[in-house]
Amino acid sequence: MTPKHKRTWLLSALALVVGFALLAAACGSSKKSSSGTTSSTGTSGGTSQQKTFANFRVVYDTGTDYLDPGLSYTVEGWEAMWNVYLSLLGYKHVNGPDGATLVPALATDMPQVSSDGLTYKLTLRKSLKYSDGSAVKATDFQYAIERDYKVDSPGVGFFSNIVGADQFSKTKKGHISGITANDSTGAITIKLLKPQGDFQNILATIFAAPVPQGTPAKDQSTTPIPSTGPYLIQSYKPNRQFVLARNPQFKALPNVQAGNPDKITVSIVEDDAAALQQVINGQGDYDFHPIPVDRLANVQQKYGSQLKVYTPANTYYFFMNAREKPFDNVKVRQAINYAIDRNALVRLYGGLATPTENVLPPTYPQYKKLNLYPHDMAKAKALLKGTGATSVPITIWGSNRETSKKPVAYLQDVMTQLGFKAKLKIIDAAVYWTTIGNQKTKAQIGFADWFQDYPHPLDWFDVLLNGERITPTHNNNYSNFNDTAVNKKIDDLKKQPTLSDQVNTQWADVDRMVMQQAAWAPYVNRQFTDFFSSRIDTSCYVNHVLYQFDFSRICVK
Amino acid sequence: MATEPATTEFTLDTAQLLAEEEHGRSIVGRSPWYLAWRRLRRNKVALTAFALFVLVVAVSAAAPLYADHVAHTTASANHPTENVKVGSKIVPVISQGGTYTDPKTHELRVKPVNIIGPTWWHAGGKFVLGADENGRDNAVRLLYGGRNSLIVGVGSAFLCTLFAVILALIAGYYGGVADWVITRFFDLIWAFPVILLAIALGAALSINGLHWNLRLFHVNLESGSLWIPTIVISYVLIPYIGRPLRGQILSLREKEFVEAAVAQGAGPLRIMFGEILPNIASSALVFFTLVVANNILLEAALSFLGAGIQDPNPSWGKLISEGQDRILTAPWLTITPGIAIVVTVVALNIFGDGLRDALDPRAKVRIEH
Repeated sequence: MTPKHKRTWLLSALALVVGFALLAAACGSSKKSSSGTTSSTGTSGGTSQQKTFANFRVVYDTGTDYLDPGLSYTVEGWEAMWNVYLSLLGYKHVNGPDGATLVPALATDMPQVSSDGLTYKLTLRKSLKYSDGSAVKATDFQYAIERDYKVDSPGVGFFSNIVGADQFSKTKKGHISGITANDSTGAITIKLLKPQGDFQNILATIFAAPVPQGTPAKDQSTTPIPSTGPYLIQSYKPNRQFVLARNPQFKALPNVQAGNPDKITVSIVEDDAAALQQVINGQGDYDFHPIPVDRLANVQQKYGSQLKVYTPANTYYFFMNAREKPFDNVKVRQAINYAIDRNALVRLYGGLATPTENVLPPTYPQYKKLNLYPHDMAKAKALLKGTGATSVPITIWGSNRETSKKPVAYLQDVMTQLGFKAKLKIIDAAVYWTTIGNQKTKAQIGFADWFQDYPHPLDWFDVLLNGERITPTHNNNYSNFNDTAVNKKIDDLKKQPTLSDQVNTQWADVDRMVMQQAAWAPYVNRQFTDFFSSRIDTSCYVNHVLYQFDFSRICVK
Repeated sequence: MATEPATTEFTLDTAQLLAEEEHGRSIVGRSPWYLAWRRLRRNKVALTAFALFVLVVAVSAAAPLYADHVAHTTASANHPTENVKVGSKIVPVISQGGTYTDPKTHELRVKPVNIIGPTWWHAGGKFVLGADENGRDNAVRLLYGGRNSLIVGVGSAFLCTLFAVILALIAGYYGGVADWVITRFFDLIWAFPVILLAIALGAALSINGLHWNLRLFHVNLESGSLWIPTIVISYVLIPYIGRPLRGQILSLREKEFVEAAVAQGAGPLRIMFGEILPNIASSALVFFTLVVANNILLEAALSFLGAGIQDPNPSWGKLISEGQDRILTAPWLTITPGIAIVVTVVALNIFGDGLRDALDPRAKVRIEH
């Protein structure tokens, strides 16, 4: 898999208490009147009433990479397109951990999986139409996956276990032999090389969303692809604005209801303070940006009911490249883990973070808190003694976003205290992940974060720390961590079809094994804010574990 | 009725003034530099401005001393978990924030962090101007920022003037193809707005640095090097000095003293650097002072936009950029470097104008772009 561009705040379950409270609030809101029409949609989970209103004005940041389902790999892109391009499977549109429940979307039912775990059978719903009026066909699914390969999608790594995918990736001709589809019956069959416990989650990603055959194999962000979901992309001016409008062809599906806003106007604003002010002034309805640290107290006091704080599944860490000196020495990696004061890093994020030493975020049932590296500079210095590490010049890599600049400045200070000659290399966020994910860069150490693509430990350990998945370019394993025992354990657990308690315990063991080898220096799990204008009824607020704030469910007072 | 020269007059020397200054002695020949100095020293405003600039330089140069002996930190040292004694109180540099669940609403709420503000002198010189979001001492960063801004401003002005003078001498003296090539080079740079060109070059070089490894010529500047903004700023301003100087040289090379030097068998280098250069030196010097002020401003703009001095090095422009997110609650973060820039640039401009008047009262030397 190619790098996930790290504003990908794809959420998670955590916040059980908050989730349930909000879910209750959301359900309660169905009885309230709205300024628009109210109608029943008969969907499962969350609000069962539609409360339409004319325009929902979103103030977004600059993180939208593409509005093409085959290319987008940021939370901004996914959050916007979640209600535009539907996949065969999807997730419940509800708050809290229940949002991680897989449900059929364009498929009639959940897939039938063969006993050997190698064959998945699904059936496309009948009479589905794209927003341009053309019929959705079963072979469109196959076309979408093949198009992913043709456009060099960052999501192709998800499909590499499909029979024939590897061959297709080389030739980009013919078809992927492991996918067969019948347009008359809607039957879709997918054959895998090996059992894969997270394959249903992969089918629910936006990369697997069917697109009309003939969609050009190049970025279609500004010439939007016809949609299957409740909204369509009406226009897109990169870095300025995009507009989502109702899809006239959409008919409510059992797990996907029509949205409340008739139109969603998304303005792209770079500055956090300016974005906040727009929403306070009523020029916008929703501020995607984090509230600036020094404004938090005031905003919370004055506009408390309009502010939502949530904890997506994320881990912020420093990668340490095990192929480069001095981090090829486990003692050096452990020394960095001892040297960083995670509580200090929490303060750098304005208190909106929790210290961590785990790879997995605490929202995961597999999470078992690790306490291997309490802050201890003396121990860190002792570990470095005799390694010769401090004589190696160090370049610390970071992107020019505030979330990266602060921790790398801190790390440089810490490494200087340890005796290293460390300098910073800050590069533009747009090229950061591809740069450090290229082996030629030989990035020694630097900032990284991860937000889940789907709620499964494989999305963390297999994607980020399996040495067998290290690639020359678009590498996600920035540490180039390659431990035979860890790789084997991941491969074994990958075959497990379900996440039983026993399997979860084994994933917790992998977490410990990785951190004993100090593959990373994880430091915080961050919390984020959503802020709304006074006209918005926040009782309709739905924050999904994966896609974060659900635009389609919001309503006005 | 004879008109008394105004005390602030510092342009043309009147016979009466000269006689008074020579204390009745016979008037002797004075070098142009001496005469310029005499005019300049009568310009109290310019001298005061220069003294102010020298003060700014001295204070900035003293940054390491202040950091070591007063603030007991460095420009890049982070102190997020430390406490400081302010008067009789112990104050955290950055307080412990966090989130909690509101017992009434059961919603997640924030306990925001509090970053220490100016302690003035109540904390033994620590955090005089408070801390930034990394817990770094703002006063120390302001002084180091001044040092970096001045190094880049003066360094780029020096480089810019040096190259502009050399190119102008070659173009103006040789004319022909050399003049055509050099003026087209000036035109090429001139075709772009200064700020846009500087941003483009600064942003490109700040990613990968500058690496030229030719057979005899090696340049390896890493992305955080102060040389990068210095070179970028000097490069984009070369034609703004080179072009007017070339005009002066075109005129000077037709003068009799040049013809006399040629007649005496002087070579091109001797004529350029021995005959023409002294005649444009006063203009170059004035340009230099004005360009320093201009370059400090340009560096601030570039650093504000992220294309100038790179992390963790501070500069005044960068400090303004870093402080803008907290402008409502911690305005001193932006105001103090802003004042420093204004004082320095105004002082240099006033001094530059004074110097121009002293060196050549009839000259109209301006940096315009």
